[in-house]
Amino acid sequence: MAEAPARIHRFSVADLPGFKTVALVVFVALYAPILTLVVYSFNAGDSPSQWQGWSLDWYRLAWQNDQVKSATAVSLKVAFAAAILSTALATFAALGTTRRKAFPGQTFIYVMINQPLMVPEIVTAVALLLVFAMVKQATGYNGLGYLILAHSAFCVPFAYLPIRARLEGMDLTLETAASDLYASSWQTFRRVTLPLLMPAILAGAMLAFVTSLDDVVITEFIKSPGQDTLPTYMLGQLRRAMKPDVNAISTALLGVTLILLSSFFLLSKKKD
Amino acid sequence: MRNLFLTAATLAAVTALAAGAAQAEGVLNLYNWGNYTSPDMIKKFEDKYGVKVTITDFDSNDTALAKVEAGGSGFDLVVPSAGFVGIFAEKGLIQKLDLSKLPNHKNIEPQWMSVAWDPGREWSVPWQWGSTGVSVNTKDYGGDINTSAIFMDPPAELVGKVNVVPEMGDVMLLATLYEGGKVCDDNPEVMKKVRDGLVAAKPKWMSMDYSTVEKMINHDYSATVDWNGSALRQRLANPDIKWGYPKEGYGLWMDNVVLLKDAKNVDNAYKFLDFIMEPENAAMISAFARYANGITGSEAFMPADMKDAPELVPPAEFKDKGQFATICTGKALDFQKAIWAELQK
Repeated sequence: MAEAPARIHRFSVADLPGFKTVALVVFVALYAPILTLVVYSFNAGDSPSQWQGWSLDWYRLAWQNDQVKSATAVSLKVAFAAAILSTALATFAALGTTRRKAFPGQTFIYVMINQPLMVPEIVTAVALLLVFAMVKQATGYNGLGYLILAHSAFCVPFAYLPIRARLEGMDLTLETAASDLYASSWQTFRRVTLPLLMPAILAGAMLAFVTSLDDVVITEFIKSPGQDTLPTYMLGQLRRAMKPDVNAISTALLGVTLILLSSFFLLSKKKD
Repeated sequence: MRNLFLTAATLAAVTALAAGAAQAEGVLNLYNWGNYTSPDMIKKFEDKYGVKVTITDFDSNDTALAKVEAGGSGFDLVVPSAGFVGIFAEKGLIQKLDLSKLPNHKNIEPQWMSVAWDPGREWSVPWQWGSTGVSVNTKDYGGDINTSAIFMDPPAELVGKVNVVPEMGDVMLLATLYEGGKVCDDNPEVMKKVRDGLVAAKPKWMSMDYSTVEKMINHDYSATVDWNGSALRQRLANPDIKWGYPKEGYGLWMDNVVLLKDAKNVDNAYKFLDFIMEPENAAMISAFARYANGITGSEAFMPADMKDAPELVPPAEFKDKGQFATICTGKALDFQKAIWAELQK
């Protein structure tokens, strides 16, 4: 095994001519704009693209801005609630579509669960706007519930896919062994399946959290008074000249996303 | 027994909650363009009346209209642009203002008292207004800048150094007036001239983009079609940049506050409407948003760098050359779209 790879000429993309150049160009194209944004968030002047020295002013200003604060709070509340709700649903859905005999219509259900990945977001947004408007008029309730429900709905596939992948990768031996040893089906689930599945559930929850945090279109359509999230707040700045505090907020948002995605990566690596 | 106790406790809690909701007099929900509402002014209003104001942002008139039209939006006050006030009214989304509750209504400048979209000012209250014209770096070009020829027929010094903002309505308005037409002209001969003029001028432009403040200051181009608030910021960074009011006719716009028909906090909304027509408070909005407000006497409270800004108030000779940008319909709009599509090629 150790010396085998040296003799086998397997195809590798890295051997193609120009591989390094293409890779470099792609990485620069992907990351140069983000890097620029991060650097300019520390700019001293009030122009988003003219460098005038280092400072933390924009972070301080963004931090003192009440609208930014309230948008951050709304973003986090909705993302937490949506992540928990959608992950719970996704876990059940994943169990229901893997831990049982194949049944007719399984593919159809699979497609239904992943509907938010396929239907254009704007269509969902308009549909939700109409339905929620009717509910709002009928009930007079204007709270965060609408945003949480909507976000949970489109976060389900993001939580579902890693959980399902893990369930498909786990063979049934341990679960069968547990049943052989007279564990009830609940005990098997609670003591065997769930602990094995936990890394995937956490990873799914984090993906759902990040997805909710990033959403613009659906949020913009269904938000009620005082429910701007960070992305919709930033979108609102577009009409007038953008100031570097938007850079600062973006950088902070990027930081949160980066931390969560790294944890997702580490968690899904574990035990593989 | 325990159940009964629980039920009673829940009932009590629900009643208390409901009562709390009914007493929520201290709220006002404002739906406005992003980065357009002075936080200091809001704070002052909140302190004075003990009302908590929520500000929610929109990024286009269409978004605002769509949300309000769907119903149950929960907003009390919205700030649409001039052309949209009529649409809100036609669709029955806003209510006529009770002027007796607005003693400061008399502070509206006479020129904004009777406007095309709201004759008599019974449906809307001014928020901010401004103009569409040309911004020119006078170091590069010393001639007359009060003309749309800056971009329709650029002088030799400016050829290849002109930018045009990619905003169909505003550009078409300037171009049509330049070619001797009227707002929303649907005369094929006039529009043919407009088309030929723009198509001939385009090779002499450098670009069509929005980020004019940066690029004028950086001297990436020497002139641009622009809005006066941008021009003000450009001049403050570079005194050579001047604002031109095209004498052939320039564009005007105004954003106005309207009261929604399904507003829940009507009393607070009236307090707010009256509050922003107080000169000192109107000046606070201007100090933040950098546009003029249409309230008599607010100049006295304006920040020093805005007091005599030539960008904010047109000089007397150009005062009657301004035309309101309305949303064209029918044939006029078809012409504009066709010409615009040709310019995008």
